[in-house]
Amino acid sequence: MQSNATLEYDYSIVKLYMWTAVIFGIVGMTIGVLIASQLAFPSLNYLLGEYGTFSRLRPLHTNVVIYGFTVSGIFATFYYVGQRVLKVSLAESKFLQALTKLQFGLYLIAATGLVISLGMGITASKEYAQMEWPLDALIVVIWVIWGIVMFGLIGLRREKTLYISMWYYIATFLGVAMLYLFNNAEVPTIFFSGGLGAWYHSVSMYAGTNDALVQWWWGHNAVAFVFTVPIIAMIYYYLPKESGQAVYSYKLSLLSFWGLMFIYLWAGSHHLLWSTVPDWMQTMGSVFSVVLILPSWGSAINMLLTMKGEWNQLTENPLIKFMVLASTFYMLSTLEGPIQAVKSVNAIAHFTDWIPGHVHDGVLGWVAFMIMSGIMHMSPRVFKREIYSKSLLESQFWIQTIGVVLYFTSMWIAGITQGMMWRAVDEYGNLVYSFIDTVSVLHPYYTIRAVGGLLYLTGVFMFAFNVFKTATAGRRLEQEPRYRSPMA
Amino acid sequence: MTSVEIEQLRVYLYVIGAGVVTVIFYYYIIYLYRSEKKGEKDYEKYGKLALDDELDSEILEKNPKLENDKKE
Amino acid sequence: MFHWLEKNPFFFAVGVFVVIAYAGVIEILPNFAEKARPVKGLKPYTVLQLAGKEVYKKDNCIACHSQLIRPFKSETDRYGHYSLSGEYAYDRPFLWGSKRTGPDLHRVGNYRTPDWHANHMWNPKSVVPDSIMPAYKHQFTNVADLETAYAEAVTVKKVFGTPYGPDIAPGKAAYEKELKTKILPEALKIAKRMKRDDLVKMVEAGKVPEVVALVAYLEKLK
Ligand code: HEM
Ligand code: HEM
Repeated sequence: MQSNATLEYDYSIVKLYMWTAVIFGIVGMTIGVLIASQLAFPSLNYLLGEYGTFSRLRPLHTNVVIYGFTVSGIFATFYYVGQRVLKVSLAESKFLQALTKLQFGLYLIAATGLVISLGMGITASKEYAQMEWPLDALIVVIWVIWGIVMFGLIGLRREKTLYISMWYYIATFLGVAMLYLFNNAEVPTIFFSGGLGAWYHSVSMYAGTNDALVQWWWGHNAVAFVFTVPIIAMIYYYLPKESGQAVYSYKLSLLSFWGLMFIYLWAGSHHLLWSTVPDWMQTMGSVFSVVLILPSWGSAINMLLTMKGEWNQLTENPLIKFMVLASTFYMLSTLEGPIQAVKSVNAIAHFTDWIPGHVHDGVLGWVAFMIMSGIMHMSPRVFKREIYSKSLLESQFWIQTIGVVLYFTSMWIAGITQGMMWRAVDEYGNLVYSFIDTVSVLHPYYTIRAVGGLLYLTGVFMFAFNVFKTATAGRRLEQEPRYRSPMA
Repeated sequence: MTSVEIEQLRVYLYVIGAGVVTVIFYYYIIYLYRSEKKGEKDYEKYGKLALDDELDSEILEKNPKLENDKKE
Repeated sequence: MFHWLEKNPFFFAVGVFVVIAYAGVIEILPNFAEKARPVKGLKPYTVLQLAGKEVYKKDNCIACHSQLIRPFKSETDRYGHYSLSGEYAYDRPFLWGSKRTGPDLHRVGNYRTPDWHANHMWNPKSVVPDSIMPAYKHQFTNVADLETAYAEAVTVKKVFGTPYGPDIAPGKAAYEKELKTKILPEALKIAKRMKRDDLVKMVEAGKVPEVVALVAYLEKLK
């Protein structure tokens, strides 16, 4: 082992994943703005020939923001937070250190394969599990490596107790691992047909309703274990650290953790209400979704109370602004979700734009805000430089907040309008509107959404610029900042 | 088993599972608060783990598995 | 017990895993036997239709179209009888979709014709002036991947016992035969009903354009 004086946390892998998060964030959200604009102005479908239609680009958007941006953010923050709360440096084990590099290499290969194959239209077609089997196999390897490093670090730790963030990271690892294997179970056709056809093609192990159940068990929990659990891990570390306030109630954090674990898994069928899955299961999905408010709000309120007596920081520090608003948006989407899970509401909301509205107040207001503030918090520490510009960060905050608000309010109105029009009948019981009437009416809302998305994307570019400048031109720091991140 | 039996079994397992989980969960709540009241544990101190996280910060509870750690 | 769990990350992980897995097993597994049963008279997709389904997946129609009619009067009036579990027995993967930017397609074969589709896929605005759907002109020149579709039919027959006849068998020779005797004639019929000479010519030359396969698939949705 190295001697005490020189031992430091090893941030090399953190930096790599920070950069991929930034790059994938830009790419994914640029595509997001493009597809949002295509719905308002269909002629934009023809910019890239066959490869530029809304339908080809939509999975590219979801996959790049999820597996590119969000997962990079998860890895970057894990390798940072994990080392620190366990008080062990990756540099202490050459083996683990090498594994992280290998993982990053494979991750880049997988990400490239993902973009190319989805662009070409090679897809298994299950939402959030579109990759074909060769890529699926690669993902499994990447994930296993993550597990080895995670438990390796835990084995070497100096601090006996695992901080709450670690619990959430462990749950992320396990949850995704199990669900992913189940949902992606597929049979490559080349092996059974005597070598006919495309080598990458496969069929799902499950058919019809069963496939739907497995898929939404996964889909729902992909939301749980990618957009919720690891993001909570982040906020439990970054908010206390940035503000210098220990989490308001550690006990509450433990209870919320178990509450979330117990309840989340039962709620998956709320994606399949009114479909052909059994009734009792739909009902349970609804009930558990409503109960889910409790642990979700438990965490969120815990975060807000952490700021008790320190609200002045909210005006002084833009990073605190981001994080407090993130937990507020988390409360919003975890209130909205259960409302949509009520069967009678879902009858109107399902299939409409209200669902993307719900998705994006969560992912833009909560997930992306948290990842960006995590990266900003880490920048001065990993680059040993002051954050390049506070005013830039401040303006980013306001621009993006306006963007999110435009996005979800327009989609709420669009969704409810459309849901009501689909079911509207006249006095004789005949449908009032043809389908296309219910599309034309959405044009203004689609336009507003595109504008909101553009504002948000502008913020992402400001963010990327700020990180880049911090890394290259920020004032050098003598000493690692303890709590509040220094910014010029 | 017929599908009706499977369905019934599933409902039973489901109710039992939910029941067990609820009991464990409430027991855990009681356990948390009681052990703190009795002074056996202080959970809130773990909140500090996020704040004092330098390699040379004071260690709250040493990991017993790392006996021959040269750090101390 | 809890104290010990908090200090033993390994068993803690096992605990989390059990909690997650239990829910999963109950929620999903026993459902399988029941729900996989096809409704009476349901035929598996022909190879051409499977190739069409691949086009549906490739151009990702599922991004905007559902295939799930819910049991409300407003939906059955618009699209036809609500969807039944057994109707999906041969759908691997299921293609229900989660967003209805365009109308549901689960029974589109009942009320649209191949030539309507031909016009619509070429230029949606020509039949629905306000449509925001993109045109898919490339489907008229791209050639459908029939061999992969055939490989899929062989696979589901072997692995899942999907009831295809003895003609569906592994190997190039069996495929060539199926192509000549079944796939191309079926494609020709569809192409003629689509009323476009270029499509008919391509099929006669032994190349099935993607859009012909796609329409064969859409026609099967009833
Ligand atoms: C500039 C920001 C963004 C814009 C303009 C945008 C736009 C869109 C659009 C137009 C759709 C398709 C909705 C539809 O089919 O009607 C969509 C879907 C989706 N986006 Fe985004 N997006 C953005 C950022 C993000 C981010 C950061 C994430 C995740 C981290 C994300 C996750 C998703 C997901 C999961 C869906 C699928 C929703 C569903 O299936 O219901 N988006 N987005
Ligand atoms: C208490 C918590 C939550 C509940 C009960 C809940 C419930 C729901 C419901 C009922 C749907 C609509 C299903 C449908 O009709 O199609 C949905 C969709 C969705 N939610 Fe949530 N939600 C919650 C929190 C969140 C959070 C925090 C996020 C992410 C940041 C999120 C992301 C999504 C996504 C991505 C979908 C779209 C899935 C798709 O159709 O592609 N949810 N949620």
